Amino acid sequence: MGYVAVKGGTDAIHNSQLLLEFYRLKDATTPLDIQQIKAQLRMAIDKVMGEGGLYTPEYAAIAIKQAEGEVFEAAFILRAFRATLQRKYYSEAINTREMFVKRKISASFREIPGGQVLGPTRDYTQRMLDTTKATETEEQMQEFLTEFLSGIDQDKLKSIGRYAKVIDLLKNEGLLQPADPNEDRILKDVTREAIRFPAPRSARLQMLCRAETGGLMSLGYASMRGFGSVHPTVGELRYGSVPVRVKDATGRERYIGKIEVTEAETISSAKTKKKNAPPFYTIGYGLCFGQNDTKAICMGILDTAMRSPDTSSPANDQEFILYHTEGIEAMGFVNHLKLPHYVTFQAGLSNTRAAIDRSTATAPKEAKQTEQLQSV
Amino acid sequence: MPEQDYILCECALAPLEQLVTALEGSVEIAMLKEPAICMVMIKAEDSVEFQPFYLGEALATECEMLVNGMRGIGVCLGDEPVRSYCIAFMDAYTQMPGADMPRVNQFLTEQADAIERAVKLENELIMRTKVDFKLMEQD
Repeated sequence: MGYVAVKGGTDAIHNSQLLLEFYRLKDATTPLDIQQIKAQLRMAIDKVMGEGGLYTPEYAAIAIKQAEGEVFEAAFILRAFRATLQRKYYSEAINTREMFVKRKISASFREIPGGQVLGPTRDYTQRMLDTTKATETEEQMQEFLTEFLSGIDQDKLKSIGRYAKVIDLLKNEGLLQPADPNEDRILKDVTREAIRFPAPRSARLQMLCRAETGGLMSLGYASMRGFGSVHPTVGELRYGSVPVRVKDATGRERYIGKIEVTEAETISSAKTKKKNAPPFYTIGYGLCFGQNDTKAICMGILDTAMRSPDTSSPANDQEFILYHTEGIEAMGFVNHLKLPHYVTFQAGLSNTRAAIDRSTATAPKEAKQTEQLQSV
Repeated sequence: MPEQDYILCECALAPLEQLVTALEGSVEIAMLKEPAICMVMIKAEDSVEFQPFYLGEALATECEMLVNGMRGIGVCLGDEPVRSYCIAFMDAYTQMPGADMPRVNQFLTEQADAIERAVKLENELIMRTKVDFKLMEQD
């Protein structure tokens, strides 16, 4: 059977989009305010900005609203939006040692410079559903804020510290593996040129920054479970804000604001290639937009994994990691399966039918042969 | 006192807008670039080997103008047309001969204090979450 090429569907597509909007609005609720989304869905905003590759809390909030809370779709929308903008500046390298620290923990050392600061975290909650959130009122919110801020003496506020890093302690003791002089240290930009493997570390780190948290977590977890060889300790995990500076058209360095980032340094034992070589620790590095501990830690794990010479497991394979954690591409490819494949399927169907016809045509002969064999 | 750009990026918008509106009347302004959004590629480096890499882009707004012939450039993160305009204006105005610097400095000092207070207050709340380890007694 031949196939017939078809066209059409414009009205159906248009009406489908209207129906989408109808389902968003049909229950006649009050419109979601962008400021509310930005303030109260902080973690979703951070995820969307990270995976969208664009730091913009306001537009991430709009994307979340537009996508009805689907963070993949919202990140996709943000990536498409960034493609419409002109890149005018490159920042000076942000310095996480300048971070205004909101959270700072180490799983390797109890005593760290400045102490362990939990900051805002759900790590120690029981994940019990708080049904009072269903009936939360503005008065209750205000009451909480007043209560929370009470007891602070505004006249005795302490000065803000900058803290030395845990890894600097290890570095100063000479416990870290020296940098490989043969490693490609070139600065690549994967948004401007296609990635080729083996990719330099700069490209790998950039792709991990834009990678989907769940994908990174999957492969990081796989590596720790034995489908890879990296099972590190968190040397230090920091979350906070860092200043961003650019050079303007006159060449002056200008402060333009601050962004929130999460940074993780994971510590693993380095495998030594030479006999009798002293053991070292190797550091995996993770840095991402917003507050996202899981993403930063898994970046650290996979950074170490991709630098390992052992390629026997997928979690150490650059291409496997980088292509399959790229959420927008992965989602696009998976979802293209929903689009019309009439031509290719019809071709396959024709071949299958022809094969079935051929096999049924030969079937009686085979039956006769069997009968003859049985009568011998 | 922190740098001018830091104060103008971090301060509340309303008082900044008020100041610029008050100062605008005494000068001649020619716009070179109306406030428009653009992107800044954020460069980072790993903290051990200092390997540079790109973290991702950030949305920013830029604006450029002449104030009495003096060029001013304003860039700030976010979709902030009013703030970028004010930063560009102040950038030009503070380099201009005959600027009312006592007024500007008073504004900058007040805002720097307010920013510092807010940051210190937040820090105080964060430091409440600092862990005080106590070793468990051995049985």
